[in-house]
Amino acid sequence: MSSPVKSKGARPKTKAGSDTAAEPAGEPVKPARAGGNILIVGVGGQGVLMIAKVVALLAQKQGYQVKQSEVHGMAKRGGIVFSHVRYGPEVWSPTIVKGEADALIALEWAEGLRWLDHLKHEGVFIADTRRIVPPFACRSRKAGAPINYAKETPADIVSRVADGFALDASTIAEGFGDARAANTVLLGVLSASLAYPEADWLEVIEASVPPKSRDINRNAFAAGREWALAARANPTLRFDSSITSYEAPAGLLQPKITLEINAAWCKGCDICVKLCPERCLALNAEQVAVLKSPDACTGCHICEWLCPDFAISIRTSHPEPVTA
Amino acid sequence: MNEMVRTLEPFEIKDYLRLQLMPHFMCPGCGHGIALRALLWAVHELAIDKNKLAIVSGIGCSGRVGAYIDANTFHTTHGRPLAFATGLKLARPDLTVVVITGDGDCLAIGGNHLIHACRRNLDLTCLMLNNEVYGMTGGQVSPTTSANRLTTTTPGGNAEPTFDACKLAEAAGASFVGREVTRQAMALKNVIRDGIAHPGFSFIEAISDCTEIYGRKNDLGESPEMILSQKSDMRPEAFGNVADEPFRPNRLVTGILAKQARPEYGAAYRDYAVRVKSKPGRPR
Repeated sequence: MSSPVKSKGARPKTKAGSDTAAEPAGEPVKPARAGGNILIVGVGGQGVLMIAKVVALLAQKQGYQVKQSEVHGMAKRGGIVFSHVRYGPEVWSPTIVKGEADALIALEWAEGLRWLDHLKHEGVFIADTRRIVPPFACRSRKAGAPINYAKETPADIVSRVADGFALDASTIAEGFGDARAANTVLLGVLSASLAYPEADWLEVIEASVPPKSRDINRNAFAAGREWALAARANPTLRFDSSITSYEAPAGLLQPKITLEINAAWCKGCDICVKLCPERCLALNAEQVAVLKSPDACTGCHICEWLCPDFAISIRTSHPEPVTA
Repeated sequence: MNEMVRTLEPFEIKDYLRLQLMPHFMCPGCGHGIALRALLWAVHELAIDKNKLAIVSGIGCSGRVGAYIDANTFHTTHGRPLAFATGLKLARPDLTVVVITGDGDCLAIGGNHLIHACRRNLDLTCLMLNNEVYGMTGGQVSPTTSANRLTTTTPGGNAEPTFDACKLAEAAGASFVGREVTRQAMALKNVIRDGIAHPGFSFIEAISDCTEIYGRKNDLGESPEMILSQKSDMRPEAFGNVADEPFRPNRLVTGILAKQARPEYGAAYRDYAVRVKSKPGRPR
């Protein structure tokens, strides 16, 4: 981002371009506070870098020096993305050390928990409660199998941090027509914690998003800000209290999978046997496919779709929930 | 389209087959069966009435595929299913007409019919099952046989260059061109579904395996090995990069390859008929 400015004292620097005629000559804009460290984390495609850019531009607009540092190399398939934004009268290092972030914005729930140790004791924690479960957390392909994902609920985390906000920003953004605007909802929440004018936020956001999504982002920002102001006034709104546990409910209703093989139609081509991901089929002595291990079958339909002789049919029936 | 699909009953292929003819005549592991399932699945998702569905097929292994469909099926002469289908669609525009044809049927014997069907852009769907060989007549070389592959008529390996049927169809004016491998049965179903729904001529190439005649002669492995190798040969359009094409010449680009808005011939023809009939002094 911006190159380091030569130090001539503790006064905040203004960029040459922001010295407009409207400002009194020789009077640089006084920053509201002595800068801050904002850490933004998420996974690929959520817009971490976009909101990092917004925060950086906003800080620059307030007359701060800004440094931004990010990692987004493995992001294409939902990998980790994070961005450090540091701003202040003078900033030397572009990264935030552990325990020094004033605000941690998590676009994904588990990523927020992963970076929690970077937050200052009195820092602001803002997270989307929407969970994006990575593929390697789901080793078992059975329906309802346990997943290796953080079990902490929003209530747990919000009670542990000094100033925590956990909201379902993705659902709010979907209400405006685009789930990708969830990052702007979180910016709205952040704006309620930082003392910068709302007009500046909106100006920077509108400059940073494509023209066709300006309205969505403006609405998303307003919704996030409104939610945060309400949550600040009433702490019970800070997290969704309806999420009490992420454990799979006991006795989860397993769908009933029936795999039927029409032996008269099977020609023993071996495709189903070799392509079954669970290796649960086999050819018998008559070169006819049989279901070797019914318990392993997940009902993925691959054998059914790839059987050239239509000999396999799978039916999945979902039992009715017993609870009213 | 997806909203409509979700409300349907689950797909049961037996509802669409002539069960008295099953099991079908195709060899073990033949990809044509998978393509047939994909076609019927697409028909099911589009909720097309079987009485309003006409399947026209030519000669060859692919021609026999149509016979197992419990709909209005028409088994025509070699290479001419598109010509028959053109007449059928012009006379009965209310029918959904799907042509099932093979690589030899469509590109060699019926090559001229293909390019003119593409040019007219009548609302037909042409599903070409490409197994790179004339299977039914004993494994002769076809226009899509890969280079150096053995067939009964190329005992020293095929020396001729091959056709890219999708490029041919696109250049001739087909308004929807797609290609998919049978390994990706669901993706094939989606391409066929979009092709049938497309108003205009849709050309879909389904890469199928001939295991018994072509695979065995060329030592391509058993059915599972052949169908698994399709995946290493394909390159989905979503990840397609034209720049690396010269480095991976064997890769097939799959997906919807071309979609263009062109006037549909059936509507234009009916307009023309009305205009000519209304002119006084013209022969009726």
